[in-house]
Amino acid sequence: MESRLNSRADFEAFRARARERWNDLWEGDRMVASVGLDSSATPKGADKVLSACKAVAYDTGMIVREVSGNGATWMEPWVEVKRPGQPPIVYGPIDPDEVPALLAGRLESRAIGVRGDTAFGTIPPLSEIPFFKPQQRIVLQNAGIIDPGSIEDAIGRGAYDAYFKVLFEMSQEEAIAEVTTANVRGRGGAGFPAGIKWESGRKAKVTPKFVVCNSHEGEPNVYKDRRILESDPHRVLEGILIACISVGAERGYNYIGGEHPVAIARFRKAVADAERLGLIGRNVLGSGKDVFFRVRTGGGAYICGEGSALMYSIMGVRGMPRTKPPRSVEEGIWRRPTVANNTETMANIPSIILNGGAWYASIGTEKSKGTKLMTVQGPMQTPGLVEVPMGTTLRTLMEECWGGMKPGFTFKGIQTGGVSAGPLKEEHFDLPVDFDSLTEYGGMLGSGGFVVFDSTICAVDFARYLTAFNRVESCSKCVPCHRGNPALVEIVDRIRLGRGSMEDLALIERTSKHVIELSLCGLGQVAPMPLLGMMKQFPEEFRAHILDGVCPAGACPIDRRPARAAAAD
Amino acid sequence: MGEAAPPAGMTGIVQSDIDLDVVRSILQRFQPRDHQEAQELILGALQEVNEHFGYVSLEAAEVVAEHLGTTATRVYALLTFYADFRTEPRGKHFMLLCHGMSCFVGGSQRLVQELKDRWGIEDGETTADGELTVQVVNGCLGVCDRAPYCVLDGHSVGELTVESLNETLQRVIAAGGSWKDGHHG
Repeated sequence: MESRLNSRADFEAFRARARERWNDLWEGDRMVASVGLDSSATPKGADKVLSACKAVAYDTGMIVREVSGNGATWMEPWVEVKRPGQPPIVYGPIDPDEVPALLAGRLESRAIGVRGDTAFGTIPPLSEIPFFKPQQRIVLQNAGIIDPGSIEDAIGRGAYDAYFKVLFEMSQEEAIAEVTTANVRGRGGAGFPAGIKWESGRKAKVTPKFVVCNSHEGEPNVYKDRRILESDPHRVLEGILIACISVGAERGYNYIGGEHPVAIARFRKAVADAERLGLIGRNVLGSGKDVFFRVRTGGGAYICGEGSALMYSIMGVRGMPRTKPPRSVEEGIWRRPTVANNTETMANIPSIILNGGAWYASIGTEKSKGTKLMTVQGPMQTPGLVEVPMGTTLRTLMEECWGGMKPGFTFKGIQTGGVSAGPLKEEHFDLPVDFDSLTEYGGMLGSGGFVVFDSTICAVDFARYLTAFNRVESCSKCVPCHRGNPALVEIVDRIRLGRGSMEDLALIERTSKHVIELSLCGLGQVAPMPLLGMMKQFPEEFRAHILDGVCPAGACPIDRRPARAAAAD
Repeated sequence: MGEAAPPAGMTGIVQSDIDLDVVRSILQRFQPRDHQEAQELILGALQEVNEHFGYVSLEAAEVVAEHLGTTATRVYALLTFYADFRTEPRGKHFMLLCHGMSCFVGGSQRLVQELKDRWGIEDGETTADGELTVQVVNGCLGVCDRAPYCVLDGHSVGELTVESLNETLQRVIAAGGSWKDGHHG
């Protein structure tokens, strides 16, 4: 066990050892098997695959490593095998009972790609296969490569280099200037520039100040933040610590959703290891700077992803939003200036500090810089978490990364922006995905979660599900959201049962307007958007339920002959 | 006179089987340095108690409140706001049924309906024989490519259909044991 690092020299020596150790691992003559484990792979048996590898290692002296998933959920459980004189090769999916054959070299047909730049025989580099080819990995550069439980692995791959730079080589203003130049916009969905927020935080006169990272991720269709925490927790922690130093905050927080136990456990371990090494605490590495850290966990309330609600939850009360101003950067946790950013935003910070804001701003589109993590759900061939430059088209994502629809499924639409926007159709596939381009068509980038639905899904029924989600999750503080969402569900239910009228469509529009314009917080203000979006993209389905008493997808519990059919008798 | 039936609406208050000494030992891990930190620790302490016993009884809530210098009323405000908490015991078996979008698109609505029609339970309820409690997760458990998905007594079950749901539940109930044998996460 390493002891506390007390100076710049201590850290540099530790880093040199960690790098040497990392290089030796890959250049040595021992076989290395790495198994990807996270909250997606483990339920598919990756833990049993790991045990099987360990059983083989017991006899052979092979090194077995536990790493995280790499985002490609379709290849899980996967094993990366590095044989002497060969590059590391990823195989999947692998059953536990296939492990001995795999490690004996008798399962080469399951090879997916080489981790590295060049092919090995007929096996292409991972970066050339369709899922990875459009990707550019900054936040996910260590995903599936390092052991997330090892601070030595992380430091061997460059973790805390940027923190070191901010502690010793940059002023607060210089660090924030890089973030401002990078023009990195908030990855939680709102897209507010992080640099501006940080500068307001630095200028705030009241002390103590705090930084909080929002890892709540309560939306029913997004799984990016938990995967960042599961694959590279030190990257997020480093981003938060850099924010603390840059704005002069004495304490950082990370608020993680209670539904993500693997992410919580891995992040807590990262914090404990960083504290043990002296990267958190008093007089960090002899810099004279103090920074402390607390991890807090949510309790299954979607609303706690809203900034002010999240802070109330940290303070131990019900997470209900308040009116703004004052903004949280003026009055946040314990009424002190608090800078709040999403997990993905924080995870971009170390690379921005190391490579410069101008480098970051060279990636992406004019108004949306850098890369974006995107997740997909639904019947796709190769689903998973990807990181692509901003402005990548939906078509590239759908047809290359995610491999198109599974056989037997017919594409109908793609829900965007979680429960805060509407769906898009195939005619929108050539739109660039960034913060602004989808809005005009009723879609939204939001936090980057897409749901593909096929022809067996009814637009009315799906709209009801999305609206019902917002009904359940309304915190009930303000009346427009508390009463408006149940009213919307009631109207949609009428239509689902075949009892609706054309006036109901106008009633939905009117009721939605109330909810959108009068709700207190950002979540209420967008709650009707999925329903309005479904009505906009699939008007003929709403009409079919109302006028013909028919659910074209056959999903709705129609229980009454419609007025028009009865009149024709 | 026989014993009076409990008044309607009071079924949430049940005889607790929670050993308060165990609650106190859990709370030893929560040692705030000041009143602000004490408030920040309430949710976390309740989560530990909820995880250990499957719910938080009124008595346990009072012990937590006392330890962290707050009131049972404040604690109950949290227990009734955050969906992860229960104030009544779980049945012998405990299922977290994911109702995220991927599961919905994969047909989880039919599973919710089946639980209601065949097992007589809705979100948060326990079957009359005390065998099964279901909690429908309105968010997402994050195992989307195995949708529809649930965690039953700590074990993952994916690609659910109405038939496989019934079959799995019948098998788990017939095998005995309880959610306490499985581990969470």
